[in-house]
Amino acid sequence: MSSYRRAATRRNIVLMIVASTLLLIWVFPLLWAVIVSLKSESEVLAYPPSVFFEPTGKNYADALFGDFSILSSLWTSTIVATATTVLTIVLAVPAAYAFARLRLPAKKTMGFYTLATQMVPPVGLVIPYFLILNKVGMLDSYEGMIIVYLTFSLPFAIWLMVSYMEDIPFEMEEAAFLDKASRLQTLWHIIIPQVRGGIAVTVIFVFLNAWNEFLFAVQLGGNNVRPVTVAMYNFVSVEQTLWAKLSAAALIAMLPVVVIGIIAQKQIVKGLTVGAVKGGGRR
Amino acid sequence: MAQGRVHLKGIYKRFGNFIALKHIDLDIQPVEFFALLGPSGSGKTTTLRMIAGLDTPDEGVIEVDGEDVTFAPPADRDIAMVFQNYALYPHMTVRDNIAFPLKMDKMPKAEIEPAVVRAAERVDIAHLLHRRPGQLSGGQQQRCALARAIVRQPKLFLLDEPLSNLDAQLRLQTRVELKKLQRALNVTAIYVTHDQEEAMTLADRMAVFLEGDILQVGTPDEVFNRPASIAVAAFIGSPPMNLLPATLDGDRLTVSGHSMTLPRAPQHPGGEVTMGVRPSHVRIDPQGLPTRLYLSENLGESALLNLYLGDELVKMRVASFNAGAEGETVPIAFDIDTIHLFESGSGRRIPLAGE
Amino acid sequence: MRREDGAHQGERRFALMLTAPGMLALLLTTTFPLAYLVWSSFQTINLAMPFMDGFAGVQNYVEMWHDSRYWHAMGLTGIYTFSSVALQVVIGMGLALLVMQIPAGQWIFRIVAILPIVLAPVVVGLFWRTLMLAPNFGMVDFLVQWLGFEQINWLGAPTPALISVIAIHTWQWTPFAFLVFLASLASLPGDVYEAARIDRANALQRFWHITLPLLRPAIIIVIIMRVMISLSAFAAIFAATGGGPGTASEILNLYAFKTSFVELNFGYGSALAVSLLIITMAVSGVLFYLRTPRRREAGA
Ligand SMILES: Nc1ncnc2c1ncn2[C@@H]1O[C@H](COP(=O)(O)OP(=O)(O)OP(=O)(O)O)[C@@H](O)[C@H]1O
Ligand SMILES: [Mg+2]
Repeated sequence: MSSYRRAATRRNIVLMIVASTLLLIWVFPLLWAVIVSLKSESEVLAYPPSVFFEPTGKNYADALFGDFSILSSLWTSTIVATATTVLTIVLAVPAAYAFARLRLPAKKTMGFYTLATQMVPPVGLVIPYFLILNKVGMLDSYEGMIIVYLTFSLPFAIWLMVSYMEDIPFEMEEAAFLDKASRLQTLWHIIIPQVRGGIAVTVIFVFLNAWNEFLFAVQLGGNNVRPVTVAMYNFVSVEQTLWAKLSAAALIAMLPVVVIGIIAQKQIVKGLTVGAVKGGGRR
Repeated sequence: MAQGRVHLKGIYKRFGNFIALKHIDLDIQPVEFFALLGPSGSGKTTTLRMIAGLDTPDEGVIEVDGEDVTFAPPADRDIAMVFQNYALYPHMTVRDNIAFPLKMDKMPKAEIEPAVVRAAERVDIAHLLHRRPGQLSGGQQQRCALARAIVRQPKLFLLDEPLSNLDAQLRLQTRVELKKLQRALNVTAIYVTHDQEEAMTLADRMAVFLEGDILQVGTPDEVFNRPASIAVAAFIGSPPMNLLPATLDGDRLTVSGHSMTLPRAPQHPGGEVTMGVRPSHVRIDPQGLPTRLYLSENLGESALLNLYLGDELVKMRVASFNAGAEGETVPIAFDIDTIHLFESGSGRRIPLAGE
Repeated sequence: MRREDGAHQGERRFALMLTAPGMLALLLTTTFPLAYLVWSSFQTINLAMPFMDGFAGVQNYVEMWHDSRYWHAMGLTGIYTFSSVALQVVIGMGLALLVMQIPAGQWIFRIVAILPIVLAPVVVGLFWRTLMLAPNFGMVDFLVQWLGFEQINWLGAPTPALISVIAIHTWQWTPFAFLVFLASLASLPGDVYEAARIDRANALQRFWHITLPLLRPAIIIVIIMRVMISLSAFAAIFAATGGGPGTASEILNLYAFKTSFVELNFGYGSALAVSLLIITMAVSGVLFYLRTPRRREAGA
């Protein structure tokens, strides 16, 4: 074997080692959370941390059914995230079609406006929303929460959908017009089926962002509407942190998004790169 | 100065389960213009990429001037290459594209500019130096790729179907340029093409590829006039020669019941053979074999008659378009001294006395 | 009326009909509250002292101008945004280049990179605060001591706290840059690299002369997206340090939040938020201006 080949092999080995180390940095916190969540509260406090222990499912049982059960919060998050997603798609898809394909008065202005609303930092919205919702008695209500969630999901969804709409060949619509389809029929029968993939990506992003939202949830929610990102905080109190239960609760809360993330990995990466203007949405 | 001798020994290459090259042997001489000719997918580009060092063989050795470079990176091989689809740097101007190899060679800045202009002038794109590849026509891009290759004086010049995207006129013109250029630069050139006319006119020698194998290596004349096997005979020529089953007995050859005496004795015991004859060596002969005219193709300067001799299709070139009625009977004969013979089983050429 | 106008009248009306609900929703859900925010920034609104409420004029802004905590928060926002974005781009690029090189198993990296991105920032902040950085509990703390260094109070001492929140943000979002760069790298024309190798460019030269210029658009997009996200970062810092210790990791977001919801001084909080809004808009304006490709002089 020549020295060139040996050098290439050596290089590959070094690459694999470096890459694996870096991989560990990103996997470890999650992995450790899983391990901690399987320990008993006393085992958790062992320092240096123990690696061999009797795994227990008690923390998960407690997180779901114990004193600070997050079960109802999971349901709340599901309602809020689903409703936000549905409403966003219904509003965004037609608007995106008009932006991408149709002659529209003041198109540039509206496009720029949509883009600008996407840049608004959430702290700038949570303050007035608190005052407004307080005045009209809609704090801690589903309606209020969903309206607020539209502020970050709608501009993002419109822009993501526009980039998908732009990819459809014009001939499609023209053929439909020749077949005497109305504009609405064309949108419904020709365009929307074409961008199903784009809609799926948008749904995933909007749902993830709504599920993960924290700032609005903690200030504008309450006992009635308490998304799971807020409910986890019950395991962190001033006197003591219930490490293992917190880990279990957080892992349960993140299970849906992690599953979606892994299944829809390809679509998410596409959304990150296609959305171009501001993929990933607002956190 | 023995520079630019390329020796491939038993090169074997697999992509997954697919065998792309089956133990290729090639010995390319210094300052030779060598063509790799073969149909699409036959392994020409794969071979060239291994000579360039862009790929490595699974087995076998590549030597350049006696030195084993099988696993050497391209930078260590002193080569210039024109890629099939040019591979110009899209973000650089034509000037920067051509200058790039010199810059990597750490040539002083002051010397780069005149060298770039000289190379550009040679391929007639000196007026386009400020443009980017995206603003060039296909032919201009191709010449830019050529300029980038000739701006340096490499040991080896590799060209992968560099004319395939040009129009017919430009292709003929550049073909001549290329040959002159190679002579002027005095370097070995290895030239991949699936166009046999290109190979015939440009190459000193050529290798005929088929399905990862080399069928024949030789001068264009040898390959054209003495194809080594049925496979080569069936590939070379446009259209390639007619191949007909025949019976050989001493120097008597019988085709479709019609016997003829070969002028030179074949070195073969006799029996079932395959006879080959080029379409231009078939003629109309009232005493000949009766055939049925199936279709005549007008090629402008000549015409091609498609005839059926029994079940066998025979193509015949005639001087001018002579649209005989389809179905008409045309009696033909073969120019006996241009006939090629091949063993039916192995497909090997049967040499005639004096070959 | 020109014939053409008549022909497109129907299309325009239809387009307006499609956009109206969305635009109206945006107007009501974002612009109206923002107008309210601006209005309240000129008011005294203090839920702890409601009797003081009333019109304040530019009082809040004058106070802000003289508020050293505000300027401190502003500085931290700059440091936080700049360093986290720079780290994300550099590390993300490095990782993408590395992973492009490895012969097999790229898909593992893609999967792993998705995980931090889909996690809620508040969960990331909590995990790091507890599992990784907590004194005598977290893995990082353990590792530092095991390697023989002095124990560092990661979240309890000012400078380490700032470093920690930057590191947390970088940890969560580097995979984003990584994935975008990986996708862009994969889409670069391979033959151009082969041509460069033939032209005897070494790995560093290929990166500098080929990869970097070709990736420019992707890099700019990533920078824009990441700056915007950095400027609105909240949950992870809130969960990890709450802006502390003291104000050591209190970026503008947290300052505006705490002023409003902890001190209940909504008037002043609004003014802080308005300043944040202006900064964000200005920065995005500049970034988008830079992104728009302008004609450059071609050739030498
Ligand atoms: N990277 C690869 N992976 C898998 N198969 C490959 C790869 N490169 C080439 N092949 C296969 O190897 C065979 C030879 O390919 P090669 O590119 O050498 O053909 P070629 O003779 O240059 O053809 P063409 O005239 O079409 O360029 C083809 O069947 C091709 O499909
Ligand atoms: Mg090829």
